[in-house]
Amino acid sequence: MMERLFNKILVANRSEIAIRVMNACRTLGIPSVAVYSDADKNSKHRLFADEAIHIGPSPPRESYLHIEKIINAAKQTCCDAIHPGYGFLAENPAFAERCREDKITFIGPSPEAIRLLGNKIESRIRMAEAGVPIIPGMKSTATDMATFEEAAEEAGYPVLIKAAGGGGGKGMRVVERPSDLQSAIEAARREAKGAFDDDTVYLEKFIVKPRHIEFQILADHHGNTIHLFERECSIQRRHQKIIEETPSAVLNDELRNRMGKDAVKVAQTAHYTNAGTVEFLFDESGHYYFLEVNTRLQVEHPVTEMVTGVDLVIEQIRIAAGHPLSDQIRNLTQRGHAIECRIYAEDGENNFFPSTGSIIHYSEPAGPGIRVDSGMQAGMEITIDYDPIMAKLVVHAPTRKLAIAKMIHALNEYKILGVKTSKKFMIDVMRHPDFVAGKTYTNFIEKNMSDRQLDMDSYKEIAVAIATVASTAPAASQKSTERGIKGAPPPPWEMIGSWQIGGSIRE
Amino acid sequence: MSSCEFLFNGDVVASVLEKDGDNLKVKVGEKEFEFRSLGNDLFSTTVNGARTDVAVVKHKGVYYIDIDSVLLEVRETSEDTFAGGAGDLVGEKDKIFAPMPGKIVKIMVKVGDEVDEKQPLVIVEAMKMENQVNSRARGRVKAVNFAPGDQVDTESPIIELELPE
Repeated sequence: MMERLFNKILVANRSEIAIRVMNACRTLGIPSVAVYSDADKNSKHRLFADEAIHIGPSPPRESYLHIEKIINAAKQTCCDAIHPGYGFLAENPAFAERCREDKITFIGPSPEAIRLLGNKIESRIRMAEAGVPIIPGMKSTATDMATFEEAAEEAGYPVLIKAAGGGGGKGMRVVERPSDLQSAIEAARREAKGAFDDDTVYLEKFIVKPRHIEFQILADHHGNTIHLFERECSIQRRHQKIIEETPSAVLNDELRNRMGKDAVKVAQTAHYTNAGTVEFLFDESGHYYFLEVNTRLQVEHPVTEMVTGVDLVIEQIRIAAGHPLSDQIRNLTQRGHAIECRIYAEDGENNFFPSTGSIIHYSEPAGPGIRVDSGMQAGMEITIDYDPIMAKLVVHAPTRKLAIAKMIHALNEYKILGVKTSKKFMIDVMRHPDFVAGKTYTNFIEKNMSDRQLDMDSYKEIAVAIATVASTAPAASQKSTERGIKGAPPPPWEMIGSWQIGGSIRE
Repeated sequence: MSSCEFLFNGDVVASVLEKDGDNLKVKVGEKEFEFRSLGNDLFSTTVNGARTDVAVVKHKGVYYIDIDSVLLEVRETSEDTFAGGAGDLVGEKDKIFAPMPGKIVKIMVKVGDEVDEKQPLVIVEAMKMENQVNSRARGRVKAVNFAPGDQVDTESPIIELELPE
């Protein structure tokens, strides 16, 4: 019998990442508690946990971002730890502080480290002082246009407007010429206000054609800080990653060691504990610049898990419980190649417009080295309430070439109907000669994919043939139609009236 | 053997279905396809010499299809099948719709403005992202029906254009 690290863990998140964390809890024999909003009352993460607490209406501010409600849910269910997942409260120092006051372990770094690293400007200055290379730009925020204009002139166009309070592409704008500066700052402020409740933005030089390379960090409470190698996340649309891989095609052992050491230095400078990610931009001449630290588990953490064999969420929980990093974890090697494709509810054929609807068919691929982290199931509604990420498809193979081939066939076997996805778009990215050659820069999609268009007419015959066949198979499609029209089947407890198993479902 | 008609990408397309044991054969024009049902809305077929699985579900008179990650929609000819947002309508380039329900953040043009094809007209916020809606034609702005802050669905035109003759 394993030693129980915590009595019970509340997972303050939803969808795929909530389920991912609950999986680790199951492995460790720790009961987990889900929280859910009105929109998520039939969601998979609610049913996956040992207990579930309803925390309010669909808007995040009234549920998943509501600190009091989450803390109360944890107290009500006697949880002694909270895992925040990513997004929502994951990088909110006030929440981590509140957990500390209530003697609930926050599975993540200290509020002090989150606060320092959450301030993108201050962390830039601190890391520059520690000897880590940074991008030229503003060293303080400003509200007046004159300061921005001056800083832009000094750094030289193009420049990048960034939100001081966050990441994920929100509140971020590239500005090519002085005449666009003001409207870009206004738009970035609006988006930053909406996403992070903080409209502070700053400006730095825009590195043209960089790669985005980040290092996974683990740090325990005994002074041990290690990195678990890099992830290359250069394939982005709207400054948001859609395809990530490890190892990076561009790093040799010397560079990897140097960047890894700087990543560890960044973590140590911030007195960082638990799991985190140090992001770098890597330019064409082979220079790298510290970008920021994401003080949370990343969306793309599975690729690191595939090549190192480490379960990062289990390590987060062990670290939070006060355990030192094991010798095994401190002596890792990279094994093979892993790729992740993010499955967003968005139209890859139409500028990645978010897509909503009900899932009328859902079937996952399977096979050696194929992993699906998903919050989806047939019948569920994709609404505009939350971030459109539905699932992550991850593959692992001995070589990059084989990993690409495996990803393409896994995407083809991953069937989702009812909302649009970017599956075909991502396949075309991975078939592009530049991607195959490892020429992956953050402008990849803009440069290589903007003229891409599907020739719909070439699918005319096969499309009509499939419809013809489906029209003769009423049993299967009729059932789905019913499901699609009426939405999700009611959960069993709603059909058979009120009941309880060990008090596990609470409203 | 039975004949059917469907709508695909604006064309009426006829097909002939033949059953041969567990195999289903469909002829569309000169092309012939063979299918085996795998259950659960999945079929196995061969396209360009390679075996592949397709998923298909009929929903409100539309067949939604995933073949090799390409998403296709085939409509029945017999029903009034128009269901999607009005933005799907071919030929209505003079009306600008939101691609999905959301909140209008910014309207970049006013009545009387000349606009080009692909010119940004409106920013709609949905799923916490700002989405830019571009003009699909060259023309002059005839009407602006919403203001920043308004909620908008996919059925009501945000902007109406007067197209050149």
